[in-house]
Amino acid sequence: MPFKDHRDFIETLRKTGDLIEVTKEVDWDLEAGAIGRKMYEMGGPSIWFKNVKNYPEGYTLYNGSLGTWRRVAVSLSLPPETPTQEIYRAYEERLDKPIDPIILEKKKAPCKENILLGDQVDLYRFPAPMIHEGDGGRYIGSWDLVVTKDPETGWTNWGMYRFMIHNKRWMAGWPQPTSQLAHQMKKYYLPRNEPMPVALVIGADPIAHMVATAPFRLGEDEAKFAGALRRKAIELVKCETCDLLVPAHSEIVIEGEIPTDQIVPDGPFGEYPGYRSGTMAEGVGFRVKAITYRNNPILTMIALGVPIDDSSIAASLTAGIAMKRGLSHRGIPVVDVYVPPEGVTHLIYVSVKKGGAQVTKEVLDYFTARRVMVSKVIVLDEDVDIFDSGQVLHAFATKCHPVRGIVIEHYEGRANSLTPCYSPKERERLKGASVAFDATWPPEWPQEIVPIKAAFKTIYSKEIQNKVIQNWRSYGFK
Amino acid sequence: MKEYLTFVRQFKDLREGKQEIFIKDLSPGPRKYDTKHVFAEISSDPDRMSDGDILRIRSESGILLPQPWGIKILEELPESVPGKPWEDVFKAMAIPERNPW
Repeated sequence: MPFKDHRDFIETLRKTGDLIEVTKEVDWDLEAGAIGRKMYEMGGPSIWFKNVKNYPEGYTLYNGSLGTWRRVAVSLSLPPETPTQEIYRAYEERLDKPIDPIILEKKKAPCKENILLGDQVDLYRFPAPMIHEGDGGRYIGSWDLVVTKDPETGWTNWGMYRFMIHNKRWMAGWPQPTSQLAHQMKKYYLPRNEPMPVALVIGADPIAHMVATAPFRLGEDEAKFAGALRRKAIELVKCETCDLLVPAHSEIVIEGEIPTDQIVPDGPFGEYPGYRSGTMAEGVGFRVKAITYRNNPILTMIALGVPIDDSSIAASLTAGIAMKRGLSHRGIPVVDVYVPPEGVTHLIYVSVKKGGAQVTKEVLDYFTARRVMVSKVIVLDEDVDIFDSGQVLHAFATKCHPVRGIVIEHYEGRANSLTPCYSPKERERLKGASVAFDATWPPEWPQEIVPIKAAFKTIYSKEIQNKVIQNWRSYGFK
Repeated sequence: MKEYLTFVRQFKDLREGKQEIFIKDLSPGPRKYDTKHVFAEISSDPDRMSDGDILRIRSESGILLPQPWGIKILEELPESVPGKPWEDVFKAMAIPERNPW
């Protein structure tokens, strides 16, 4: 059975040993963030802070929903020990069966238990954490889901974008200028100088947040893919102040609008590549018009930073499958794509049936065609298990020609401004480059000259392999 | 005496005198880091502002300037400023560059 809400998920994590509850008072100002960060770096469980300084009982913080592959497996109702490759397969298979959401009546939606409108709105009611020392503010939206809509097509986008408290009624954020939210803004609202309705959702069921990190194509509603992954429709409810639909079982929903003629400063923030790297900007302002929330609201957060954490894991899965489909759609003979969490979607492994310089170039063309989030791609032959970074490194070290094996593409106006190696000038102009490393054998080489991998399974005949396997114990080995 | 915080891209961008500035109120409590948009006089020497407050300064990567400045708030301004989302990026992209790489 899928999780109805984040509370269900927490209860299951308690049973699987993937949750720690902290009842000692913890300060929202850096202490919760520091604890969460340290726990990621230890590979530990998710943390529910139940006693937050300055806040009444029942106003709690939760860090680390999907911070390990175990918790991702649990979120998909798979056994916690499911190997990464099998999680990828399950995710990929389920995506093929999208399920439309169900719209609930307001009275049946838990996120409407409390409603603040107009002058009642006060973002400081919630224990928004100051996550890292030196951040630009309290990021109430770190592990969130931001809902926006294209009124012309009806397409509703869910994205995960950072938003910090500016004051009691405003937030500031910086969805990248190449994001789908920015696309909708530029296409419809900016030309008309109309404010864009927006809802920031905190603490929906874990799959909803996972799909918000996924790079689905323009025009695709994430809600039906959340249904696909849950194998049951997600339940939505209409906002109080606009016609946007939000997950009905969410902990907190902040409704408002992004004005097209007013801005507020955002950042800096310790971001997903694992650095706080000059990500300060004239941010997008979010004027809050209403807040709805459950009794005893749980504010989900991520002490974002050096991998592995929720962001790097969720993006590994969602981006990996999206990339595989995109490459396949372009006619590239892709076998698999793996996004190692340690590479924070900057480094991608792609295995292909047939490699070589031309295919490597086509792979890079795919990654640089529109907004470019990827910095380095390693293209590998299909005999490499790309879920094993040791095998990938071996192939890269030995098969990538230092001159002929490297393809570089430059671009401007669509680079990832969060890539730490870019200079401030490059970040400003969204200017960057991506490189592909061809770690495949050239297809034009005759079979008889292709080096043979000196591994047990590749350099010995089946006959010898079987003999050794059958006699293994008789040699005195266990 | 109150304490505030502001951000600049680089410390060399700092200038003394009267100016429009966004500051965060560092008073302890549930409203810590609340942002104000003000017209204020700022000085690198807090002692020169007898009735002023402390202004801490961080860079675009969050590095704290070791010595705080002084600030005297002269007027509170509207909470936002006129502008379009991503205007800074679009502006930067519109400037041609002679030596792109």
